[in-house]
Amino acid sequence: MNTFLSITLDLLEGFGTTCLIFALTLALALPLGLVVAFGSMSRFRLLRLPVRTLVWIIRGTPLMLQLIAIFYGPSLLFGIGGFDRLTAVIVAFVINYACYFSEIYRGGIEGVPAGQREAAQVLGLTKRQTFFYVILPQVIKRITAPMSNEVMTLVKDTSLARIISVAEIIMVSQEYTRQGLIWPLFYTGAFYLLFIGILTLLFRFLEKKLAYIKV
Amino acid sequence: MDFLHVEGFRKKFYNTEVLKGIDFSLQKGEILAIIGASGSGKTTLLRCLNFLETPDEGKVYLDGELLSDAKERYPEGTLREKRKKFGLVFQNFNLFPHYRAIKNVSLASDLAAKERAKEFRREQKRRYREEGVRFAGRLARRDGAKFREEALKESARRAEELLETVGLGDKKQSYPGELSGGQQQRVAIARALALDPEVLCFDEPTSALDPELTGEVLRVIRALKGRTMIIVTHEMKFAREVADKVLFMADGAVEEEGTPEEIFVHARSEKLRAFLKRENSGD
Repeated sequence: MNTFLSITLDLLEGFGTTCLIFALTLALALPLGLVVAFGSMSRFRLLRLPVRTLVWIIRGTPLMLQLIAIFYGPSLLFGIGGFDRLTAVIVAFVINYACYFSEIYRGGIEGVPAGQREAAQVLGLTKRQTFFYVILPQVIKRITAPMSNEVMTLVKDTSLARIISVAEIIMVSQEYTRQGLIWPLFYTGAFYLLFIGILTLLFRFLEKKLAYIKV
Repeated sequence: MDFLHVEGFRKKFYNTEVLKGIDFSLQKGEILAIIGASGSGKTTLLRCLNFLETPDEGKVYLDGELLSDAKERYPEGTLREKRKKFGLVFQNFNLFPHYRAIKNVSLASDLAAKERAKEFRREQKRRYREEGVRFAGRLARRDGAKFREEALKESARRAEELLETVGLGDKKQSYPGELSGGQQQRVAIARALALDPEVLCFDEPTSALDPELTGEVLRVIRALKGRTMIIVTHEMKFAREVADKVLFMADGAVEEEGTPEEIFVHARSEKLRAFLKRENSGD
Protein backbone atom coordinates (compact mmCIF):
# COMPACT_ATOMS: atom_id res chain seq x y z
CA MET A 1 0.00 0.00 0.00
CA ASN A 2 1.33 3.41 -0.90
CA THR A 3 0.35 5.64 1.97
CA PHE A 4 1.73 9.13 2.49
CA LEU A 5 3.66 7.80 5.44
CA SER A 6 5.21 4.85 3.64
CA ILE A 7 6.22 7.04 0.72
CA THR A 8 7.70 9.64 3.08
CA LEU A 9 9.74 6.94 4.80
CA ASP A 10 10.86 5.59 1.46
CA LEU A 11 11.91 9.04 0.27
CA LEU A 12 13.67 9.66 3.59
CA GLU A 13 15.86 6.68 2.88
CA GLY A 14 16.80 8.18 -0.49
CA PHE A 15 17.33 11.50 1.24
CA GLY A 16 19.76 9.75 3.56
CA THR A 17 21.86 8.84 0.54
CA THR A 18 21.57 12.43 -0.70
CA CYS A 19 22.85 13.70 2.64
CA LEU A 20 25.65 11.15 2.65
CA ILE A 21 26.88 12.25 -0.78
CA PHE A 22 26.62 15.86 0.33
CA ALA A 23 28.48 15.39 3.61
CA LEU A 24 31.29 13.23 2.22
CA THR A 25 31.81 15.52 -0.76
CA LEU A 26 31.98 18.59 1.45
CA ALA A 27 34.29 16.98 4.00
CA LEU A 28 36.76 15.85 1.35
CA ALA A 29 36.47 18.61 -1.25
CA LEU A 30 37.01 21.48 1.20
CA PRO A 31 40.58 20.48 2.12
CA LEU A 32 41.35 19.10 -1.35
CA GLY A 33 40.20 22.38 -2.89
CA LEU A 34 42.82 24.22 -0.83
CA VAL A 35 45.50 21.85 -2.13
CA VAL A 36 44.32 22.42 -5.71
CA ALA A 37 44.33 26.18 -5.07
CA PHE A 38 47.96 26.01 -3.95
CA GLY A 39 48.78 24.00 -7.05
CA SER A 40 47.20 26.53 -9.37
CA MET A 41 49.05 29.38 -7.64
CA SER A 42 52.40 27.59 -7.57
CA ARG A 43 55.53 29.33 -8.80
CA PHE A 44 56.51 26.13 -10.57
CA ARG A 45 55.09 25.84 -14.05
CA LEU A 46 55.40 22.07 -13.97
CA LEU A 47 52.90 22.00 -11.16
CA ARG A 48 50.81 25.02 -12.04
CA LEU A 49 50.04 24.13 -15.65
CA PRO A 50 48.73 20.59 -15.11
CA VAL A 51 46.64 21.73 -12.15
CA ARG A 52 45.15 24.60 -14.13
CA THR A 53 44.44 22.25 -17.01
CA LEU A 54 42.66 19.87 -14.67
CA VAL A 55 40.55 22.72 -13.29
CA TRP A 56 39.73 23.78 -16.83
CA ILE A 57 38.62 20.27 -17.83
CA ILE A 58 36.58 19.68 -14.69
CA ARG A 59 34.86 23.05 -14.85
CA GLY A 60 34.52 22.79 -18.60
CA THR A 61 32.60 19.52 -18.81
CA PRO A 62 29.29 18.45 -17.27
CA LEU A 63 29.45 16.73 -13.91
CA MET A 64 27.14 14.09 -15.40
CA LEU A 65 29.79 13.22 -17.96
CA GLN A 66 32.47 13.06 -15.27
CA LEU A 67 30.32 10.68 -13.24
CA ILE A 68 29.97 8.34 -16.19
CA ALA A 69 33.66 8.60 -17.04
CA ILE A 70 34.74 7.74 -13.52
CA PHE A 71 32.27 4.90 -13.14
CA TYR A 72 32.67 3.25 -16.55
CA GLY A 73 36.10 4.61 -17.54
CA PRO A 74 38.35 2.12 -15.74
CA SER A 75 36.58 -0.94 -17.13
CA LEU A 76 36.28 0.54 -20.63
CA LEU A 77 39.91 1.63 -20.81
CA PHE A 78 41.72 -1.07 -18.88
CA GLY A 79 39.16 -3.84 -18.63
CA ILE A 80 39.39 -3.78 -14.87
CA GLY A 81 36.60 -3.36 -12.38
CA GLY A 82 36.41 0.26 -11.25
CA PHE A 83 34.76 1.73 -8.20
CA ASP A 84 31.48 0.61 -6.79
CA ARG A 85 28.65 3.01 -7.55
CA LEU A 86 28.62 5.11 -4.44
CA THR A 87 32.42 5.41 -4.39
CA ALA A 88 32.39 6.53 -8.03
CA VAL A 89 29.85 9.22 -7.14
CA ILE A 90 31.95 10.44 -4.21
CA VAL A 91 35.16 10.48 -6.27
CA ALA A 92 33.54 12.40 -9.13
CA PHE A 93 31.85 14.88 -6.81
CA VAL A 94 34.95 15.46 -4.70
CA ILE A 95 37.14 16.16 -7.74
CA ASN A 96 34.51 18.38 -9.30
CA TYR A 97 33.82 20.39 -6.18
CA ALA A 98 37.48 20.60 -5.19
CA CYS A 99 38.11 22.37 -8.52
CA TYR A 100 35.28 24.84 -8.00
CA PHE A 101 36.30 25.43 -4.38
CA SER A 102 39.91 25.92 -5.45
CA GLU A 103 38.96 28.92 -7.54
CA ILE A 104 37.04 30.40 -4.63
CA TYR A 105 40.02 29.85 -2.35
CA ARG A 106 42.36 31.35 -4.92
CA GLY A 107 40.23 34.47 -5.18
CA GLY A 108 40.11 34.68 -1.39
CA ILE A 109 43.83 34.22 -0.91
CA GLU A 110 44.82 36.64 -3.64
CA GLY A 111 42.32 39.15 -2.28
CA VAL A 112 44.15 39.46 1.05
CA PRO A 113 46.26 42.62 0.71
CA ALA A 114 50.01 42.08 0.27
CA GLY A 115 50.55 44.26 3.33
CA GLN A 116 49.16 41.53 5.58
CA ARG A 117 51.80 39.07 4.47
CA GLU A 118 54.49 41.73 4.73
CA ALA A 119 53.43 42.66 8.25
CA ALA A 120 53.69 39.01 9.26
CA GLN A 121 57.06 38.73 7.56
CA VAL A 122 58.48 41.76 9.34
CA LEU A 123 57.31 40.24 12.64
CA GLY A 124 59.37 37.15 11.89
CA LEU A 125 56.50 34.71 11.39
CA THR A 126 57.28 31.57 9.42
CA LYS A 127 55.47 30.98 6.13
CA ARG A 128 53.32 28.37 7.85
CA GLN A 129 52.40 30.65 10.71
CA THR A 130 51.68 33.46 8.27
CA PHE A 131 49.25 31.29 6.36
CA PHE A 132 47.42 29.76 9.29
CA TYR A 133 47.34 32.74 11.66
CA VAL A 134 47.15 35.70 9.29
CA ILE A 135 45.95 34.72 5.82
CA LEU A 136 43.52 31.83 6.30
CA PRO A 137 41.23 33.49 8.86
CA GLN A 138 40.78 36.41 6.48
CA VAL A 139 40.23 34.08 3.54
CA ILE A 140 37.43 32.34 5.43
CA LYS A 141 35.75 35.68 6.00
CA ARG A 142 36.10 36.61 2.34
CA ILE A 143 34.79 33.37 0.90
CA THR A 144 31.72 32.64 3.03
CA ALA A 145 29.31 34.21 0.54
CA PRO A 146 30.61 32.47 -2.63
CA MET A 147 31.03 29.24 -0.66
CA SER A 148 27.41 29.28 0.49
CA ASN A 149 26.37 29.48 -3.16
CA GLU A 150 28.53 26.56 -4.13
CA VAL A 151 27.45 24.45 -1.17
CA MET A 152 23.79 24.96 -2.04
CA THR A 153 24.44 23.95 -5.61
CA LEU A 154 26.04 20.78 -4.27
CA VAL A 155 22.85 19.87 -2.39
CA LYS A 156 20.94 19.83 -5.66
CA ASP A 157 23.74 18.35 -7.78
CA THR A 158 23.54 15.19 -5.67
CA SER A 159 20.50 14.28 -7.78
CA LEU A 160 22.92 13.50 -10.64
CA ALA A 161 24.01 10.36 -8.79
CA ARG A 162 20.99 8.55 -10.22
CA ILE A 163 22.75 8.57 -13.61
CA ILE A 164 24.79 5.63 -12.36
CA SER A 165 21.94 4.18 -10.34
CA VAL A 166 22.75 5.44 -6.88
CA ALA A 167 19.40 5.63 -5.15
CA GLU A 168 19.26 9.20 -3.96
CA ILE A 169 15.91 10.82 -3.29
CA ILE A 170 14.90 11.72 -6.88
CA MET A 171 15.64 8.21 -8.09
CA VAL A 172 13.51 6.77 -5.31
CA SER A 173 10.63 9.04 -6.23
CA GLN A 174 10.88 8.06 -9.89
CA GLU A 175 9.99 4.50 -8.88
CA TYR A 176 6.56 5.92 -8.06
CA THR A 177 6.37 7.90 -11.29
CA ARG A 178 6.81 4.66 -13.13
CA GLN A 179 3.81 3.29 -11.22
CA GLY A 180 1.79 6.31 -12.33
CA LEU A 181 2.19 8.31 -9.12
CA ILE A 182 3.62 11.74 -9.92
CA TRP A 183 3.33 13.68 -6.66
CA PRO A 184 6.23 11.98 -4.83
CA LEU A 185 8.58 13.50 -7.39
CA PHE A 186 7.38 16.99 -6.54
CA TYR A 187 7.30 16.09 -2.89
CA THR A 188 11.11 15.66 -2.98
CA GLY A 189 11.30 19.43 -3.49
CA ALA A 190 10.20 19.89 0.10
CA PHE A 191 13.20 17.90 1.33
CA TYR A 192 15.61 20.03 -0.69
CA LEU A 193 13.93 23.22 0.48
CA LEU A 194 14.21 22.17 4.08
CA PHE A 195 17.89 21.29 3.66
CA ILE A 196 18.68 24.57 1.91
CA GLY A 197 16.73 26.46 4.54
CA ILE A 198 18.91 25.00 7.29
CA LEU A 199 22.07 25.78 5.31
CA THR A 200 20.91 29.35 4.76
CA LEU A 201 20.49 29.80 8.49
CA LEU A 202 23.88 28.24 9.17
CA PHE A 203 25.65 30.54 6.72
CA ARG A 204 23.81 33.56 8.07
CA PHE A 205 25.00 32.58 11.54
CA LEU A 206 28.56 32.19 10.28
CA GLU A 207 28.50 35.55 8.56
CA LYS A 208 27.27 37.19 11.74
CA LYS A 209 30.02 35.43 13.67
CA LEU A 210 32.63 36.81 11.27
CA ALA A 211 31.16 40.30 11.04
CA TYR A 212 33.75 41.68 13.45
CA ILE A 213 36.47 41.24 10.83
CA LYS A 214 36.49 44.33 8.66
CA VAL A 215 38.47 43.45 5.57
CA MET B 1 82.15 52.18 15.12
CA ASP B 2 78.73 52.92 13.68
CA PHE B 3 75.79 51.04 15.11
CA LEU B 4 74.10 50.69 11.75
CA HIS B 5 75.98 50.98 8.53
CA VAL B 6 74.43 50.56 5.10
CA GLU B 7 76.78 50.24 2.20
CA GLY B 8 76.11 50.48 -1.50
CA PHE B 9 72.41 49.61 -1.72
CA ARG B 10 71.37 49.21 -5.35
CA LYS B 11 67.99 48.08 -6.59
CA LYS B 12 66.53 47.82 -10.05
CA PHE B 13 62.92 47.07 -10.92
CA TYR B 14 63.00 45.88 -14.51
CA ASN B 15 64.93 48.71 -16.14
CA THR B 16 64.30 51.41 -13.60
CA GLU B 17 67.10 52.00 -11.15
CA VAL B 18 65.30 52.83 -7.92
CA LEU B 19 68.33 52.85 -5.65
CA LYS B 20 71.62 53.94 -7.13
CA GLY B 21 74.07 53.05 -4.41
CA ILE B 22 72.94 54.30 -1.02
CA ASP B 23 75.36 54.62 1.90
CA PHE B 24 74.62 55.90 5.35
CA SER B 25 75.33 55.15 8.97
CA LEU B 26 73.66 55.74 12.25
CA GLN B 27 74.72 55.67 15.91
CA LYS B 28 72.85 53.78 18.58
CA GLY B 29 69.88 55.77 19.85
CA GLU B 30 69.93 58.21 16.96
CA ILE B 31 66.95 59.13 14.86
CA LEU B 32 67.39 59.38 11.12
CA ALA B 33 64.75 61.15 9.06
CA ILE B 34 64.60 60.43 5.35
CA ILE B 35 62.92 63.03 3.21
CA GLY B 36 62.46 63.43 -0.52
CA ALA B 37 59.84 63.57 -3.24
CA SER B 38 57.63 60.57 -4.01
CA GLY B 39 59.47 58.13 -6.21
CA SER B 40 62.88 59.10 -4.90
CA GLY B 41 63.41 55.61 -3.43
CA LYS B 42 62.79 56.29 0.27
CA THR B 43 60.27 53.51 0.73
CA THR B 44 62.29 51.00 -1.29
CA LEU B 45 65.27 51.75 0.92
CA LEU B 46 63.24 50.93 4.04
CA ARG B 47 61.84 47.81 2.43
CA CYS B 48 65.33 46.61 1.56
CA LEU B 49 66.46 47.18 5.14
CA ASN B 50 63.52 45.11 6.39
CA PHE B 51 64.15 42.29 3.91
CA LEU B 52 60.83 42.88 2.14
CA GLU B 53 62.87 43.49 -1.00
CA THR B 54 66.26 42.09 -1.76
CA PRO B 55 68.63 44.73 -3.05
CA ASP B 56 70.72 43.78 -6.07
CA GLU B 57 73.82 44.93 -4.26
CA GLY B 58 74.64 46.20 -0.82
CA LYS B 59 75.60 45.28 2.70
CA VAL B 60 74.18 46.02 6.11
CA TYR B 61 76.35 46.09 9.20
CA LEU B 62 74.70 46.09 12.59
CA ASP B 63 76.59 46.60 15.82
CA GLY B 64 79.89 46.03 14.06
CA GLU B 65 78.88 42.77 12.42
CA LEU B 66 77.89 42.03 8.87
CA LEU B 67 74.15 41.38 9.06
CA SER B 68 73.38 40.88 5.41
CA ASP B 69 74.99 40.95 2.04
CA ALA B 70 72.82 41.07 -1.07
CA LYS B 71 75.15 38.60 -2.73
CA GLU B 72 74.43 35.92 -0.13
CA ARG B 73 71.37 33.70 -0.13
CA TYR B 74 70.25 33.00 3.42
CA PRO B 75 68.12 30.05 4.45
CA GLU B 76 64.63 30.96 5.60
CA GLY B 77 65.35 30.43 9.30
CA THR B 78 68.45 32.66 9.30
CA LEU B 79 66.61 35.30 7.34
CA ARG B 80 63.85 35.37 9.93
CA GLU B 81 66.36 35.96 12.70
CA LYS B 82 67.90 38.82 10.71
CA ARG B 83 64.49 40.30 10.01
CA LYS B 84 63.71 40.55 13.68
CA LYS B 85 66.56 43.03 14.15
CA PHE B 86 64.41 45.56 12.32
CA GLY B 87 60.87 46.63 13.03
CA LEU B 88 58.66 48.36 10.51
CA VAL B 89 55.59 50.53 10.90
CA PHE B 90 53.71 50.72 7.63
CA GLN B 91 51.98 53.66 6.03
CA ASN B 92 48.68 51.73 5.96
CA PHE B 93 49.13 50.16 9.43
CA ASN B 94 48.51 46.63 8.13
CA LEU B 95 47.02 45.49 11.39
CA PHE B 96 45.51 42.01 11.39
CA PRO B 97 41.77 42.73 11.16
CA HIS B 98 40.71 39.45 12.74
CA TYR B 99 42.61 39.95 16.00
CA ARG B 100 41.92 42.32 18.86
CA ALA B 101 44.45 45.12 19.48
CA ILE B 102 46.22 43.15 22.22
CA LYS B 103 46.50 40.03 20.08
CA ASN B 104 47.89 42.10 17.21
CA VAL B 105 50.66 43.20 19.54
CA SER B 106 51.29 39.82 21.15
CA LEU B 107 50.86 37.50 18.14
CA ALA B 108 54.53 37.27 17.17
CA SER B 109 55.75 36.70 20.72
CA ASP B 110 52.87 34.28 21.39
CA LEU B 111 53.94 32.15 18.46
CA ALA B 112 57.57 32.35 19.51
CA ALA B 113 56.53 31.32 23.03
CA LYS B 114 54.71 28.28 21.66
CA GLU B 115 57.78 27.26 19.71
CA ARG B 116 59.97 27.61 22.77
CA ALA B 117 57.52 25.58 24.85
CA LYS B 118 57.65 22.79 22.29
CA GLU B 119 61.42 22.85 22.40
CA PHE B 120 61.37 22.82 26.20
CA ARG B 121 59.01 19.83 26.25
CA ARG B 122 61.34 17.84 24.01
CA GLU B 123 64.30 18.68 26.21
CA GLN B 124 62.43 17.68 29.37
CA LYS B 125 61.42 14.41 27.79
CA ARG B 126 65.00 13.65 26.94
CA ARG B 127 66.09 14.54 30.46
CA TYR B 128 63.40 12.37 32.10
CA ARG B 129 64.31 9.50 29.84
CA GLU B 130 67.97 9.79 30.76
CA GLU B 131 67.08 9.82 34.43
CA GLY B 132 65.00 6.72 33.84
CA VAL B 133 61.84 8.32 35.19
CA ARG B 134 58.59 6.54 34.36
CA PHE B 135 55.96 8.39 32.28
CA ALA B 136 58.64 10.64 30.79
CA GLY B 137 56.33 11.72 27.96
CA ARG B 138 53.49 12.64 30.25
CA LEU B 139 55.73 14.55 32.66
CA ALA B 140 57.36 16.42 29.82
CA ARG B 141 53.96 17.37 28.44
CA ARG B 142 52.98 18.74 31.82
CA ASP B 143 56.18 20.78 32.04
CA GLY B 144 55.74 22.00 28.48
CA ALA B 145 52.17 23.11 29.15
CA LYS B 146 53.27 25.00 32.22
CA PHE B 147 56.12 26.66 30.36
CA ARG B 148 53.77 27.63 27.58
CA GLU B 149 51.20 29.08 29.93
CA GLU B 150 53.82 31.19 31.70
CA ALA B 151 55.33 32.40 28.43
CA LEU B 152 51.95 33.33 26.98
CA LYS B 153 51.03 35.18 30.16
CA GLU B 154 54.27 37.12 29.95
CA SER B 155 53.64 37.91 26.30
CA ALA B 156 50.14 39.20 27.05
CA ARG B 157 51.43 41.25 29.98
CA ARG B 158 54.07 42.85 27.80
CA ALA B 159 51.54 43.57 25.04
CA GLU B 160 49.30 45.27 27.55
CA GLU B 161 52.20 47.35 28.79
CA LEU B 162 53.04 48.41 25.23
CA LEU B 163 49.44 49.41 24.55
CA GLU B 164 49.58 51.52 27.71
CA THR B 165 52.75 53.16 26.39
CA VAL B 166 50.99 54.24 23.20
CA GLY B 167 48.01 55.40 25.24
CA LEU B 168 45.60 52.64 24.25
CA GLY B 169 45.34 50.65 27.45
CA ASP B 170 41.57 50.98 27.33
CA LYS B 171 41.31 49.78 23.71
CA LYS B 172 43.11 46.48 24.08
CA GLN B 173 39.96 44.44 23.42
CA SER B 174 38.96 46.41 20.31
CA TYR B 175 39.28 45.10 16.79
CA PRO B 176 41.21 47.28 14.30
CA GLY B 177 37.94 48.00 12.47
CA GLU B 178 36.62 49.67 15.59
CA LEU B 179 39.57 52.04 15.94
CA SER B 180 40.36 55.37 14.29
CA GLY B 181 43.31 55.58 11.90
CA GLY B 182 45.46 57.26 14.52
CA GLN B 183 44.63 54.59 17.08
CA GLN B 184 45.33 51.83 14.56
CA GLN B 185 48.73 53.30 13.81
CA ARG B 186 49.50 53.46 17.52
CA VAL B 187 48.61 49.79 17.86
CA ALA B 188 50.91 49.13 14.90
CA ILE B 189 53.73 50.94 16.69
CA ALA B 190 53.13 48.84 19.82
CA ARG B 191 53.18 45.73 17.64
CA ALA B 192 56.51 46.72 16.11
CA LEU B 193 57.93 47.35 19.58
CA ALA B 194 56.84 43.94 20.89
CA LEU B 195 59.87 42.19 19.45
CA ASP B 196 62.16 44.94 20.73
CA PRO B 197 63.94 45.50 17.41
CA GLU B 198 67.41 47.04 17.25
CA VAL B 199 66.25 49.52 14.63
CA LEU B 200 62.66 50.69 14.31
CA CYS B 201 61.61 51.96 10.89
CA PHE B 202 58.60 54.07 9.98
CA ASP B 203 57.33 54.32 6.42
CA GLU B 204 55.42 57.60 6.23
CA PRO B 205 53.52 56.75 9.39
CA THR B 206 51.07 59.64 9.15
CA SER B 207 50.46 59.84 5.40
CA ALA B 208 47.28 57.76 5.50
CA LEU B 209 45.82 59.75 8.38
CA ASP B 210 43.45 62.67 8.55
CA PRO B 211 45.41 65.81 9.52
CA GLU B 212 43.78 66.01 12.94
CA LEU B 213 44.99 62.48 13.78
CA THR B 214 48.65 62.91 12.89
CA GLY B 215 49.42 64.66 16.18
CA GLU B 216 48.72 61.66 18.42
CA VAL B 217 50.91 59.38 16.29
CA LEU B 218 53.79 61.86 16.15
CA ARG B 219 53.54 62.28 19.93
CA VAL B 220 53.97 58.55 20.39
CA ILE B 221 56.99 58.44 18.08
CA ARG B 222 58.52 61.42 19.84
CA ALA B 223 58.19 59.61 23.14
CA LEU B 224 60.30 56.75 21.75
CA LYS B 225 63.36 59.00 21.58
CA GLY B 226 66.39 57.05 22.68
CA ARG B 227 65.64 54.17 20.36
CA THR B 228 67.47 53.83 17.08
CA MET B 229 64.89 54.84 14.50
CA ILE B 230 64.61 55.58 10.82
CA ILE B 231 61.62 57.64 9.79
CA VAL B 232 60.59 58.24 6.22
CA THR B 233 58.33 61.24 6.41
CA HIS B 234 56.66 64.15 4.68
CA GLU B 235 56.24 65.98 7.97
CA MET B 236 59.10 68.46 7.65
CA LYS B 237 58.49 70.16 10.97
CA PHE B 238 58.50 66.82 12.73
CA ALA B 239 61.66 65.65 10.96
CA ARG B 240 63.43 68.85 11.88
CA GLU B 241 62.36 68.58 15.49
CA VAL B 242 63.13 64.92 16.31
CA ALA B 243 65.86 63.85 13.91
CA ASP B 244 69.53 63.74 14.81
CA LYS B 245 70.34 63.30 11.18
CA VAL B 246 68.48 63.93 7.94
CA LEU B 247 68.88 62.25 4.59
CA PHE B 248 67.50 63.96 1.51
CA MET B 249 66.95 61.53 -1.34
CA ALA B 250 66.41 62.39 -4.98
CA ASP B 251 66.21 60.01 -7.93
CA GLY B 252 67.42 56.98 -6.01
CA ALA B 253 70.48 58.63 -4.51
CA VAL B 254 71.38 60.50 -1.35
CA GLU B 255 71.49 64.06 -2.58
CA GLU B 256 72.36 65.63 0.72
CA GLU B 257 72.76 64.58 4.33
CA GLY B 258 73.41 66.33 7.56
CA THR B 259 71.97 67.63 10.79
CA PRO B 260 68.43 69.08 10.65
CA GLU B 261 70.03 72.52 10.82
CA GLU B 262 72.24 71.83 7.80
CA ILE B 263 69.41 70.36 5.77
CA PHE B 264 66.56 72.70 6.60
CA VAL B 265 68.40 75.96 7.12
CA HIS B 266 71.59 75.71 5.11
CA ALA B 267 70.50 73.56 2.19
CA ARG B 268 73.27 73.46 -0.36
CA SER B 269 71.94 71.61 -3.39
CA GLU B 270 69.47 73.15 -5.79
CA LYS B 271 67.23 70.07 -5.64
CA LEU B 272 66.89 70.23 -1.87
CA ARG B 273 66.12 73.93 -1.92
CA ALA B 274 63.44 73.41 -4.55
CA PHE B 275 62.00 70.47 -2.60
CA LEU B 276 61.82 72.40 0.65
CA LYS B 277 60.20 75.32 -1.08
CA ARG B 278 57.51 73.05 -2.52
CA GLU B 279 56.93 71.39 0.84
CA ASN B 280 56.61 74.70 2.65
CA SER B 281 54.17 76.16 0.17
CA GLY B 282 52.11 72.99 0.48
CA ASP B 283 51.61 73.39 4.23
